[in-house]
Amino acid sequence: MKKTLYVLLVLVLGSTMLFAGGAEEKKAEVVDPNAPITLTVWCWDPMFNIYAMEEAAKIYKDIKPNVTINVVETPWNDLQQKLITSLSANATENLPDIILMQDNAIQKNVMTYPEAFVPLNGKIDLSQFAQFKVDVGTIDGKSYGVPFDNGATGTFLRRDIVEKAGLKVSDFNDITWERFIELGKIVKQKTGIAMISTVANEPDFPMLMLQSAGTWMFNEDGSAYIKDNPVLKEALRITKEMVQSGVCLLVPDWNAYIATLNNGTVASTINGCWISGSIQTEESQKGKWAVANTPRFANISSSVNYSSQGGSGWMVMANSKHPDVAIDFLAKTFGGSVALYETILPTSGAIATWLPAAESPVYSTPIEFFGGQKIYEDLVGFAGKVPNVKYGVFNYEARDAIARALSEVMRGTTIDAALATAQKNVEFLMSE
Amino acid sequence: MNKRQGTVIVKYVFLIIICLFSVFPFYFMVVGATNKSVDIIKGRLFFGTFLFENIKTLATNVRLGNAFWNSLRNALANTVAALLVCSLAGYGFQIYRDKGKDTLMGLLLLSMMVPFAAIMVPLFRMFSQAKLLDTTMGFILPTISTAFLIFFFRQSSESFPIETVQAARVDGLGEFGIFFRIYVPIMAPTFAAAAIVTFMNAWNNYLWPLIIMQSQDSQTMPLLITGLTAGYTTDYGILMLSVTITTLPTLILFFTQQKRFVEGVLGSVK
Amino acid sequence: MAKSNLSRKINLYGWLFVIPAALFIFILNFYPMISAFLLSLQSGRGNNLKFAGLKNYARLFEDEMFLTSVGNVITYLVIQVPIMLLFALVLATMLNDSKLKGRGIFRTMIFLPCATSLVSSAMIFKSLFSIDGIINTALVGIGLLVEPISWLTHPVWAKFVIILTITWRWTGYNTVFYLAGLQNINRNVYEAARIDGASASRQFFSITIPLLKPVILLTTIMSTNGTLQLFDEVRTLTNGGPGIATLSISQYIYNLSFMYNPQFGYAAAVSYAILVMVAVLSFVQIKMGGKR
Repeated sequence: MKKTLYVLLVLVLGSTMLFAGGAEEKKAEVVDPNAPITLTVWCWDPMFNIYAMEEAAKIYKDIKPNVTINVVETPWNDLQQKLITSLSANATENLPDIILMQDNAIQKNVMTYPEAFVPLNGKIDLSQFAQFKVDVGTIDGKSYGVPFDNGATGTFLRRDIVEKAGLKVSDFNDITWERFIELGKIVKQKTGIAMISTVANEPDFPMLMLQSAGTWMFNEDGSAYIKDNPVLKEALRITKEMVQSGVCLLVPDWNAYIATLNNGTVASTINGCWISGSIQTEESQKGKWAVANTPRFANISSSVNYSSQGGSGWMVMANSKHPDVAIDFLAKTFGGSVALYETILPTSGAIATWLPAAESPVYSTPIEFFGGQKIYEDLVGFAGKVPNVKYGVFNYEARDAIARALSEVMRGTTIDAALATAQKNVEFLMSE
Repeated sequence: MNKRQGTVIVKYVFLIIICLFSVFPFYFMVVGATNKSVDIIKGRLFFGTFLFENIKTLATNVRLGNAFWNSLRNALANTVAALLVCSLAGYGFQIYRDKGKDTLMGLLLLSMMVPFAAIMVPLFRMFSQAKLLDTTMGFILPTISTAFLIFFFRQSSESFPIETVQAARVDGLGEFGIFFRIYVPIMAPTFAAAAIVTFMNAWNNYLWPLIIMQSQDSQTMPLLITGLTAGYTTDYGILMLSVTITTLPTLILFFTQQKRFVEGVLGSVK
Repeated sequence: MAKSNLSRKINLYGWLFVIPAALFIFILNFYPMISAFLLSLQSGRGNNLKFAGLKNYARLFEDEMFLTSVGNVITYLVIQVPIMLLFALVLATMLNDSKLKGRGIFRTMIFLPCATSLVSSAMIFKSLFSIDGIINTALVGIGLLVEPISWLTHPVWAKFVIILTITWRWTGYNTVFYLAGLQNINRNVYEAARIDGASASRQFFSITIPLLKPVILLTTIMSTNGTLQLFDEVRTLTNGGPGIATLSISQYIYNLSFMYNPQFGYAAAVSYAILVMVAVLSFVQIKMGGKR
């Protein structure tokens, strides 16, 4: 027994030595421009982001064969955690060269750790991207993100259900939320199918409504703009009405939401254009969908029929040993290769925010799933009209507070009271 | 006698219901692994024919073998090291018991009350400075020595007769000799129980491996599973399959060792 | 002379056995803990931290989210732990019967849930309790419900599902501990009681429970500790929702550190709040249970 234990002990220690050795090899610096370089990228979703990054890597291999792109699959929550842990422990040697960051979090991260990210002004031509995306990643005039995932919203409709109710898809273009609710009631009455669904206790609708009016939950000076925010009040009021009138179905989580689309439980959804990927997984619905633009507020003048939800961008990390190579890589692929966007569009539904890509014939292909509508052309068109909004440092705090306010309002609390609580919560988290 | 029979029947029925309740989620998980994602979302309860499809998809999308091997290696290394370190300590605390050691034991028990989230960042900083990130050592060091395991061995050692130790000393055995040649063989069930619990915890560990992992090569099974839920759409069939695969080793371990496990726990509870 | 030399040598060895494990814990647990305590005395964002004394701790009392999360966790604790331990006791008593057929199988099946990881079991329960999940379908099917309940978006039902998940996962674990403890109790005690005419439940309450006191105390402390530090299940099942109706303290710490603008100092203070609660509760439980 003793012998076996000793043998085991030696084996364990031996094998750990083997692996401990690996850490030291990373110190070598590269001077020769043609020497092999590896860029590490952290991103998530093998079907979407990772796929796009790997296609970009292929393209860049032809331009600079000595550069290898190493993609490490890192779910968003985990990425935030690892990033912040490393940055706060001042242990940045193991951070990657490039990361994918959700638009909602860019401001928070840059303002908390300004030294950690590389400003891209002058190094990449950002003027060719949809401006609302560039704006999201710009702090104090410096831009940090290469916009990737287009979050421009649209109303995705089941043409067949809508027509069964005696309506047309064009009835849903350029309308107000009140009109949408009216139409929704007609659909429900004539077909028995709910118009739309949303995840309960998530602030998705209020958020996209806010952006459509060009406002957010913070003032210019950074203070919370929740309690007395007329747009927010309207947003909550409309969301509540949609749910209580039966127009909008509440579901418990994301997968249930996708299920309502795939199962035909709802006639439409209003979300970022990336939802088209999920919609298209249900083969049996081919040809039955269509896209219209987003409803706007009736009595808020700044409100337009365009908004954004979600979306992300690539950021270059300051700890990178080859920041210039990383920037060049991004510039030549996501910021310069029409071919890249042409490749990833049909397979993953990833829609460009880089406007030259949108001019490719691939984007003006009629899409069979959507009854021949050139949805990508339309969606890129929408992206050009989305109001610019700065999400701010305390975005997540505010989003959570509004989510909570929404669930309280659904249970009967007055909107004013719920928003007052939300403001208090956010101010508490903002204080030190 | 009818009442007695009645009670017995109630007992069996109760136990069967509890067992069904315990096992049902596993059934759900295994059935899910054989079905298409859309069907699972719709609530399908019966075995489907999609198992091979799911296996194929999973194998092409993720590095399954790599993650499995990483989890296995880390868990085994962790278990061996933990058994060694904690059994020595538990034995020491009991056989050489004195006031000082009792106080130390009490102090060590405090460490169980610290939420991991609190020490995560300072620990990371330490490991980063020690260049232990992304290494097997890095994965296992924080969980080698746990107050619970030390306590477990100490309690189990209470039944180990001190006379045996004294006799062995007279026979000329050194202290460590006594431990390895006499204590360990006799206390095999205790080691078995400790091995099972430690392996399970190490295998399922999530938070620390997440932070210390820096490359795709070091991914472990729990991390792989959350990776599957991170996309815009989750393929439930693959998810259930990977959960099943992840649960298999601990299940097998428990099935084969459960008698020893109960014996081992028995020994600690005297 | 030789005797005291020997006893000193033995004493030295005694410490040698113990020191490696103790060192590990000191370096990898206590040192970060102290680091975290120092952190809790600082406030600020990201890496801009400055000394603030006990301000963070004072802030705790004004923090509605923190207080709600404490309330949530205490609700879980008060309901889940007693029910689970009682269940485990009853099960262990049943399984202790040598005449029971299929004991091994029952025992294995009851312990099975412990083989899953916390995230896996939470994911499974999430599927089971979804709107068109099995539970709803079954309950509507047999007529107990008129329409499906949205379990995980309801402030009360969501807590119920969380408690159910935890109970499912940990009952087997505690059952094994009690089973082991029961096998220590001399059969003759039960025999004598039976001859005296004591019913099964009387035996349970007057013999089993008092004799198992040390084990019960151990499991109570372990369960209390576990529930106060609850994280994975809540995060996977409801993410703290609806609103903050199911938010746990650990999850709040996680949010403060990684989701919101990082406030590590304040997060550390919240961690210490958990520590204090666990320590106080453990102390109370030990005192109530008598000396171990």
